Amino acid sequence: MVNFELNGADVYVEAPATMTLLDMLRVELGVKSVKKGCEQGECGACTVLLDGSPVTSCLILAPQVEGRRVCTIEGLVDNPLLKELREAFMENGAVQCGFCTPGMLLSAYALLRDNRHPSEEEVKTAIEGNICRCTGYVAIIEAILDAAERIAPD
Amino acid sequence: MMSILDNAMPLAGGTDIVPTFKDLGSKPVRLIDLGLIDELNGIMEEDGKILIGPTTTHAQLLASKVIEEAAPALHDAARWIGSVQIRNRGTIGGNLCNASPAADSAPPLLVHGAEVHICSLEEGHWVPLQGFFKGPKMTVLEPNEILAGLRFPQVKGAGSSFQRIGRRKGFTLSVVNAAVYVERDGERLREVRIALGSVAPTPIRAPSVENKIRGKKMSGGLVEEAAAASVEVAKPIDDVRGTAEYRRDMVGVLVKRAMREAWRRAGGEL
Repeated sequence: MVNFELNGADVYVEAPATMTLLDMLRVELGVKSVKKGCEQGECGACTVLLDGSPVTSCLILAPQVEGRRVCTIEGLVDNPLLKELREAFMENGAVQCGFCTPGMLLSAYALLRDNRHPSEEEVKTAIEGNICRCTGYVAIIEAILDAAERIAPD
Repeated sequence: MMSILDNAMPLAGGTDIVPTFKDLGSKPVRLIDLGLIDELNGIMEEDGKILIGPTTTHAQLLASKVIEEAAPALHDAARWIGSVQIRNRGTIGGNLCNASPAADSAPPLLVHGAEVHICSLEEGHWVPLQGFFKGPKMTVLEPNEILAGLRFPQVKGAGSSFQRIGRRKGFTLSVVNAAVYVERDGERLREVRIALGSVAPTPIRAPSVENKIRGKKMSGGLVEEAAAASVEVAKPIDDVRGTAEYRRDMVGVLVKRAMREAWRRAGGEL
């Protein structure tokens, strides 16, 4: 039995010890925004926030989140910063197939939460662990810089 | 307790070993999550030494002012390991125990004269990191032992630098990496240490090069001499990430860059 906080709610899950956090979220809890991509920590599609930090859920075993906070994109639905990011992604054409988008948004969110004025280099570093096969990244980088400007007009 | 520990595998950040579990199928694996032991995590200064717990993540190293000042090469390496997500999980102990010849943590720790604390339930001993690696993916750790800590001397006025070449700029394994450590005595190299990665079965020191240039006056010519001699020490192989020939050439380039930057960080001019 694993007990942890998922998007603010206390959850108990019966999960085998070698099940990954990714599978626990998708299979046991039905959270499908967390995408199953490479399962090697390379693509970032399964990114979640663990105690606030971006991590790839495919590299974490279910028992390792005992007592900890896990946040997926659903947990930030009403978050003002995420709302700005979402709109900037749409307006800049930063979404095509959408597979990378939940993970990309979480990485971008963690960046802007900690750094309101990121440089382009810092944006690139923040999303180096999130692969996008559609956009070529330019629109995504512009969207994140755009969202940063909106939240910090000074 | 001992029978529980039999054939058990220590788990740190899991970034290297969790993906391997898929291939094990339903075979039961005994894991010991070192992440639950608080004493194995953190960075401390004690009696002129820096102590690092094995489960300290690359993100923690990168955020540490102590590491940035005492071991700038290690701080450089932490920046280039993995991605944000990997740095948040991957640990320095895991990076060493995984024993990749390309491990980015290894050359900086080798040039800083690091020792590792090897512990079993019965006893613990400190050994130089140099003797820790036995080959690709192999260390001296016995099945009943874990790497329980790292330490290296804190030397005022020393400088170090880590340099690497990957196939991309970000989130990629090193095709070649190198670290240089220097202590200045005016314009002379009182101490100099060079380590190379991904050019031999394990990360290596280059004592023959160090002995050739130790005590000499720093100059552009000396940097060239160190680079050329380092190329001779490297015994790389061709693999998917690069050819042996390319690696040998790049050893020279990286040693030059690292030596100049280490010297500058030690307060020297060139």
